[in-house]
Amino acid sequence: MTLSVALGPDTQESTQTGTVTSTDALTAPDIPWNLVIWNDPVNLMSYVSYVFQSYFGYSEPKANKLMMEVHKKGRSIVAHGSKEQVEQHAVAMHGFGLWATVEKAAGGGKDGGSGKGKGKRG
Amino acid sequence: MAKAFKYGLKGITGYLEPAERELLRSLIDDVISMLEPAESASEDPLTALIGLDMNVQEPSDRALRRLLPNVTKNDDAASLEFRQLTERSLRENKIGALRAAALGLDTNDVVLSPADARLWSQALNDVRLVLAERLDIRDDADADHVHTMQDWSQAEDVESYLALVYNFTTWLQESLVQAMLQSMESRG
Repeated sequence: MTLSVALGPDTQESTQTGTVTSTDALTAPDIPWNLVIWNDPVNLMSYVSYVFQSYFGYSEPKANKLMMEVHKKGRSIVAHGSKEQVEQHAVAMHGFGLWATVEKAAGGGKDGGSGKGKGKRG
Repeated sequence: MAKAFKYGLKGITGYLEPAERELLRSLIDDVISMLEPAESASEDPLTALIGLDMNVQEPSDRALRRLLPNVTKNDDAASLEFRQLTERSLRENKIGALRAAALGLDTNDVVLSPADARLWSQALNDVRLVLAERLDIRDDADADHVHTMQDWSQAEDVESYLALVYNFTTWLQESLVQAMLQSMESRG
């Protein structure tokens, strides 16, 4: 499914704000970013799997595998892409109530707190 | 008593008693009032039009922070900047789903299209996230503890009442999501 489905009535505006974000991104477009989903004790496993299937179009086995990774490891990288792409995904995930963050995929030193060592590719 | 949602010929159907619909409506209204942005007098109409909000801050309320989380783990400045660009439309999106779910609470028999069902599942999820913060559910052990409260005769104080309400909305959302997954499967 597309972002428009997830965002409902304000798609137009949301798309524009997404574009605004990109103008100040001084990151080269080929540096990959990750979309991370974090575990929490509230979201239902079935619901998380449903979101992965319906929003990303993942197969049921793939959605369940990622959901179990979130549940057991505390986090899972569920998508990659440009900064703008993963930011759009993140705001869609927040729309569904999932706890999502974005991070640079590998090494990359510019961002403030990236020295924690948790940002490595999973 | 409510009946679990199920997927069938008419789509996704469920049944709620008047008192249950009233309860859900008030929970939904509470979350809507949390999400409605404060009016700012000196707002630039153009920035408002395109959804910008330069005065936005990370919410101090835990429940609201869970509904509108930071987009990065360790970079507060980047998270705030993203919030300025996106938080307003995220709030509006959530309020839209909550209002759509409330509109469907007018009759005991609930019949949902796939699009309605998605809005309902989002709304129920946001209601549960807020209840969970009020109940201080921080980890799976907390969640298990709350889950033991299943009998309305156990409602002795605000906390036990909230726990029962949380368990009811959890049960309702789980049955709805199961019906939605079945519906997705049968549509291929």
